Amino acid sequence: MDLETDISKALRAGVAICLAFLLVGTALVFINSGADGYTIDQIVSNASTINSSGFSLVEIVSGLARLDGLSFIFVGLMVLIATPIIRVLMSIFAFAMERNWLYTVITIIVFIDLMVAIFVVPQFIHGMISTTRLP
Amino acid sequence: MSFLVYFMLLLVVGVAAGFVGSLSGLGGGVIVIPALTVLLGVPIQYAAGASLIATIATSSGAASAYVKDRLANIKIGMSLEIATTLGAIAGALIAAAIYAKGLFHIIFIIFGIVLLSSILPTFMQYKRSGWKKLNTDWTTKFFQLEGKYYDSSERRTIRYFGYRWWLGEAVMALAGIISGLLGIGSGVLKVIGMDWGMKLPMKVTTSTSNFMIGVTAAAGSSVYWALGYIQPFIAAPTVIGIIVGSFAGSRILNRSKVSKIRLFFMIILAIAAVEMILRGLKVL
Repeated sequence: MDLETDISKALRAGVAICLAFLLVGTALVFINSGADGYTIDQIVSNASTINSSGFSLVEIVSGLARLDGLSFIFVGLMVLIATPIIRVLMSIFAFAMERNWLYTVITIIVFIDLMVAIFVVPQFIHGMISTTRLP
Repeated sequence: MSFLVYFMLLLVVGVAAGFVGSLSGLGGGVIVIPALTVLLGVPIQYAAGASLIATIATSSGAASAYVKDRLANIKIGMSLEIATTLGAIAGALIAAAIYAKGLFHIIFIIFGIVLLSSILPTFMQYKRSGWKKLNTDWTTKFFQLEGKYYDSSERRTIRYFGYRWWLGEAVMALAGIISGLLGIGSGVLKVIGMDWGMKLPMKVTTSTSNFMIGVTAAAGSSVYWALGYIQPFIAAPTVIGIIVGSFAGSRILNRSKVSKIRLFFMIILAIAAVEMILRGLKVL
């Protein structure tokens, strides 16, 4: 089970990459006094309406080239969410290599659950967002 | 409040939550949410979003430790993840429906109750040691619910079996719902599911639960992301703080006995729980 050691290294690497993106992104927001056309006061506030629902993946990735602070933070958070998912993916191969087919199937089911959470559920909650309000 | 002060406060709250979460064994989320909402007035959706995503970092960061000791049972954890991930999706959607109706006080009350009931088993689990019963049933064989670990205090390898997989799975569905609903790791419920439900040894349940928390939180966070509960500049200092705080906490945990510190923090958490309930009941 040496793959387990590799998996734990991958997990720690994921957290380290996330941390690096968050630190750079935070620094950029302060240096540029804002990001993506918003002022720092609009971004850093309890009542801020700037959140994860308002940005597409294309916007976030293209923001990296412009050294946009928010893009760096969003990428860091995406890396964090991806970390355990990659772990599940690696486990599928680990169980398949052991020829443990029951657990290969079980792990594939967990992976499908995660894909549903990322790609399917957002499709039908899209209309719900407009009704979400802050206290 | 100037943005720099606000940012520093978020960072300090994150560090403190990570530190206390690691020392108490409750995790950062259950602490950071009352701190952000009650102390700093952060909207509860944003507090839950920052907390849930930070939970992934603490779970993944601690992975090296449990892999080295071979304590976590990846098979048992993975088989239970089917229920926790689906539960987390359901819980996040229930939260969205509650927030859409503006019923924030319901979340505060549920949170307070969950926090209060989390404190009790944490006290009990330290008194228990060893694993005696050798219960098995058809799920033991079918789902390969077995393993072994080296107990450093007893200086021997302990072989164990789990049973009642279906009961573990049912408790995990609830743990997933609570995780998605409140934005916490719900590690205590996961431990109860494996300890009380499946009769696994405590050392195995705590590290397996820690492994599972990251996967559960990834499912919940993805739904939170689409719902817009992740405010980047509230999440970033919280995540950074919790990583730093829990790392420091785990270092101290290894070095010394912390039962008195733990008792102190438990009392603080009980007060925070009561405060959440009172806020929910609109007394505060």
